[in-house]
Amino acid sequence: MLENYFPVLIFILVGLAFGCVPIVLGRLAGPHRPDAEKLSPYECGFEPFEDARIKFDVRYYLIAILFILFDLEIAFLFPWATILKEIAATEGLRLFGFFEMMVFLGILLIGYIWVWKKGALEWE
Amino acid sequence: MDGLLQPVVDLFGPTWPLVWTLVKIVAIIAPLMICIAYLTLAERKVIGYMQVRIGPNRVGPLGLLQPIADGVKLLLKEVIVPSGASKGLFIIGPILAFAPVLAAWAVVPFSDGMVLANVDAGLLFLLAITSLEVYGVIVSGWASNSKYPFVGAMRAAAQMVSYEISMGFALVCVLMISASLNLSDIVMQQGQGRFADMGLGFLSWNWLPLFPMFIVFMVSGIAETNRAPFDVVEGESEIVAGHMVEYSGMAFALFFLGEYAAMWLVSALTSILFLGGWLSPVSFLPDGFHWLFIKVAAILFLFLWARATFPRFRYDHIMRLGWKVFIPITLTWVIVVAVWMLSPLSIWK
Amino acid sequence: MNFVVPNFAPAYAELFVAAMGVVILLVAVFLKQSARPFAYLASLATLLGAAFITWYTMDGQVSYTFGNMYIDDLMGDVLKLMVYFAMAVTLLYSRGYLTDRKMDRPEYFVLATFATLGMMVMISANHLLTVYVGLEMLSLSLYALVAFDRDSARSTEAAMKYFVLGALASGLLLYGMSMVYGATGSLELSGIAQAIYHQAGNRTVLLFGLVFLMAGIAFKLGVVPFHMWVPDVYHGAPTAVTLLISTAPKLAAFAMTMRLLVNGLFELADQWQAMLMFLAIGSIVLGNIAAVAQSNIKRMLAYSGISHMGFMLLGLLSGVVDGDSRLALNAYGSAMFYAVVYVLMSLAAFGMVILLSRAGFEAENIDDFKGLNKRSPWFAAMMMFVMFSMAGVPFFVGFFAKLAVLQAAVAAGYVWLAVLAVMMSLIGAFYYLRVVKVMYFDDPLDASPISASADLKLVLSANGLAIAVFGLMPSQLIESCVAALAGSF
Repeated sequence: MLENYFPVLIFILVGLAFGCVPIVLGRLAGPHRPDAEKLSPYECGFEPFEDARIKFDVRYYLIAILFILFDLEIAFLFPWATILKEIAATEGLRLFGFFEMMVFLGILLIGYIWVWKKGALEWE
Repeated sequence: MDGLLQPVVDLFGPTWPLVWTLVKIVAIIAPLMICIAYLTLAERKVIGYMQVRIGPNRVGPLGLLQPIADGVKLLLKEVIVPSGASKGLFIIGPILAFAPVLAAWAVVPFSDGMVLANVDAGLLFLLAITSLEVYGVIVSGWASNSKYPFVGAMRAAAQMVSYEISMGFALVCVLMISASLNLSDIVMQQGQGRFADMGLGFLSWNWLPLFPMFIVFMVSGIAETNRAPFDVVEGESEIVAGHMVEYSGMAFALFFLGEYAAMWLVSALTSILFLGGWLSPVSFLPDGFHWLFIKVAAILFLFLWARATFPRFRYDHIMRLGWKVFIPITLTWVIVVAVWMLSPLSIWK
Repeated sequence: MNFVVPNFAPAYAELFVAAMGVVILLVAVFLKQSARPFAYLASLATLLGAAFITWYTMDGQVSYTFGNMYIDDLMGDVLKLMVYFAMAVTLLYSRGYLTDRKMDRPEYFVLATFATLGMMVMISANHLLTVYVGLEMLSLSLYALVAFDRDSARSTEAAMKYFVLGALASGLLLYGMSMVYGATGSLELSGIAQAIYHQAGNRTVLLFGLVFLMAGIAFKLGVVPFHMWVPDVYHGAPTAVTLLISTAPKLAAFAMTMRLLVNGLFELADQWQAMLMFLAIGSIVLGNIAAVAQSNIKRMLAYSGISHMGFMLLGLLSGVVDGDSRLALNAYGSAMFYAVVYVLMSLAAFGMVILLSRAGFEAENIDDFKGLNKRSPWFAAMMMFVMFSMAGVPFFVGFFAKLAVLQAAVAAGYVWLAVLAVMMSLIGAFYYLRVVKVMYFDDPLDASPISASADLKLVLSANGLAIAVFGLMPSQLIESCVAALAGSF
């Protein structure tokens, strides 16, 4: 089965190559006349006055953490979703197979409600 | 066919599988690039007509050579690397934004058996590789070392990951019904069911039982690609062009290509997951690639229509829609579908 | 599909605590500010309910469930009961402290409940992954708790240190687990024991795994040379959290050590004995000497905790002599007794620190205990009991705990080790007695009477008296520890 993935690997490499080629071509075909003004960061025509790597809103960090949680949950849902038909067809496993995942979803849901009530999803 | 190819196979010997794969990849990428190029023209034309303008019509007949002229122009522009930027990352950024969208096409089936890699974990691969797009955005925003790109990248990244969650839940729903991660199987499964037996295949497709997910997936797709009305990243009145501010020439072109390639990809995925891929809507018409193309084109038209119609969302509204509306809806629907499947009323035995 | 629904009965207490934790979290977030006591009362009720469940399902039988990932035996039940008790006392002591500092947010009690759950899972783990899950559940709750006073730079710094080092230790532990798994092909502790018994697997890989496991365990116990976090975290955390960290988790760490080393890697006893010996000597020496130099009582108690954990290890390492495990039960029993007694003393010691603290004032320094006798002779006496017991003055319970482990060490033939430990505890007596001296012979810096709620005073008095009273009947306690272990090993 693994050889099925060989074309995928090749495609990824080709994709990367396709990304690199235009930049190289552009460098070769386009002019190259840098000067200090041209190379300075864009700041609406003003002189840039400080480093751009500034402190940013902690909410982005929060979103990143929440994203990881939910994305992991989706990753855990995938195998369950794939065999749900089989679960539905197996007597005796049906309820257990369903409620196990509901417990999992429920725990996440409680976290979600808590986060919501605590105001972590607000952007004002 | 085999007889004709035999001398060529012999010529390449053991490297033949590689060569043949490359040929197939070129056969996917070349039309795709043309499609991407002409989507830009279509966009300008469609929006032009919607606003009672004509759109580009000077370069070639009906403006048909416009995308080529644009490409040549960008090619001849200087690629500026700002003095404060992290040089390596600055160059990698646009490549990271473009390459994954292209590589995702490896598992997309165009018709029955017409797929480069018919892998069993196709959907998982798509989920993984489309997640990589956010790196392109955040790397370029950081590497530019300039304030607008930085803020723009933060916003774009937060927006993309937020909508990825609801997309993921929508995928889970499709997965429950099809019981397979293989995209071809997902399409074939949509050809079965009571309505398909009656000859009305389009009523058996996933869009009907998963209607809320279908809508959520499409809207999230627009948000994922940072298209209007979710294009605060490029909200020119606030942060100029977001993470792309410092890019010029071909480096900028890569972002541009990446965005339009992503539009094609999202439309193709919507067609495959919810609209039966290459299946014909009614039994008296034959299945085939043309159906997929028609469906994709229709969804793309919706994308353009949305851009021409809706004003831009405010950023807090975008985040609220993603976190407080879409996630509850999709989560609920996952449970609804699960209950439905386990109940005697299940239509997917 | 071959699938059996697991038997939940042995884990009812865990399920109950987990459900209650979730309920408290959810209800508290919807409650108004004025309904604050809810979380406190509900978490106490949770501990009480769990104690009932554990008590009534305690049958002395060893039962496994969840595909042998989980074990329910007498040692587990006894330790769990101790954990509930220690947590309940902790919450009781903490209440007023938290209210005074506006930190009595429901999350404190929720985190404490989840930490309890983590400890219970650790205690009942029969599988490397279960050990890890329980450990992480406990540690993550503790990291958050240490940072609970989030406006305090010291508290957040302590939490950061604890988190970074704790993550490193978890990494080491996991690394060791994966090596043990690689060598034995089993994640289940009894399976590992069998595989080693049958000489399966690569012994070098196994020993490497053991070393990493040991590093992880040593970090969680807080023994030398993995003790660096202990003083900083004890000092930086709000006293209520220090109280929590220094008590119940030690019992869970003891259980984890027993499960991993004795249940799982018993055949390697000659190897881990040597390592434990190194850890024990280091802890006893460094803990006692460094504590002398402290002027902050939380730091002093932190170093004293390091040395106490060293003493506990003395008992653990004395179990097996030349592959003969006849002495094991007594030795492990003495270690368990030591852990239990330490928890009792630590509760009372930090309880005293909390008692003397008020809103806006932390009684953190030894100087804050000056002249306590003039302010409150009763609590000065209580503190004296605690200090005497920790120092190992005869006829307090701490003396018998030390005696038990020393006896075990001597019985195993480690006379020199016992002599060293006694010498070090003599040095240790100095700093404990210094506290007693300032309480009785110095003038108070602040003569105001002690203001604290009645329940704190009552329970703290009971705690102090217990240390004195148990000293009168140590043999029953030791015997019950031995009996609890007898079913498991």
